[in-house]
Amino acid sequence: MEQAESFETDFWKHANLRKLWDDIIPGQPRQTIPYTLTRDAIELYCASVGEDHPMYFDEDYARTTVHGGLIAPPSIHILLMFACTPADDWMRSPGTVNAGQSWSYNVPARPGDVITLQARALDKFIKRERLFVVHDNVFFNQHGEVICSGRGWTIRPQ
Amino acid sequence: MATRFEQLSAGDAIEGPEFAVTRESIRLFCDASLDYNPLHLDDDYMKGNFGKTNFGGIIMHGMNNFGLISRMITDWAYPAGAIHRRLETRWVKPVRPGDTIQPKGIIRSKHTTARSRWVLLD
Repeated sequence: MEQAESFETDFWKHANLRKLWDDIIPGQPRQTIPYTLTRDAIELYCASVGEDHPMYFDEDYARTTVHGGLIAPPSIHILLMFACTPADDWMRSPGTVNAGQSWSYNVPARPGDVITLQARALDKFIKRERLFVVHDNVFFNQHGEVICSGRGWTIRPQ
Repeated sequence: MATRFEQLSAGDAIEGPEFAVTRESIRLFCDASLDYNPLHLDDDYMKGNFGKTNFGGIIMHGMNNFGLISRMITDWAYPAGAIHRRLETRWVKPVRPGDTIQPKGIIRSKHTTARSRWVLLD
């Protein structure tokens, strides 16, 4: 639980260290950190969206499925986005508004996986007087397999 | 509703369970997703304007919606031995504490490719 305990939940704390829209360079990789996905983290995420399928909780059942063991729901990347990025990452800027997302799924994430993220801003633009950034992300497991990849469109606070 | 590929038709509908949004459910999503943006926590902050937008109070995470839609798809697909491969979303309106939301999908088309079979939903 060391990872969770060290997570800074006050998003104002490092606000002055985060890149503004002007500073974000499309194409430049974001700094990321490996994250070990735990069964506790999966179960907490499941509770927050009402996921109750035994594929995520019941090891005996999960062994009988095509996946051969417990997996996380595909949308676990919602957690991974914050778990795999440092406190000064611009995705945590207070006032960041989510405008859209598109994600593709390959192999499932599993409890115990050490997950890495390759991420960058891909594009930025101004539309209807709002500052947009498109970010591009790929999550990998410890075997180098792609778990999922996706893009997000956010409106920046400044 | 049928979940055999051959039996599915454009226009068939699926839906997930209703989800009651509360300040507590939003807080739980903060802890589960590690997204502690004050948009979801701080009423005083949310009295301010965001460009031309004023939300008037805290709002639910957009990705909470995403998670509910994802759950609808997997709960429907798993019993048929199918896999959830892609989800694309756009956010149109904010969701607030006190709202009840429910994901719904409509089959748009089916496609067979060289190695797989796809069901596309809106």
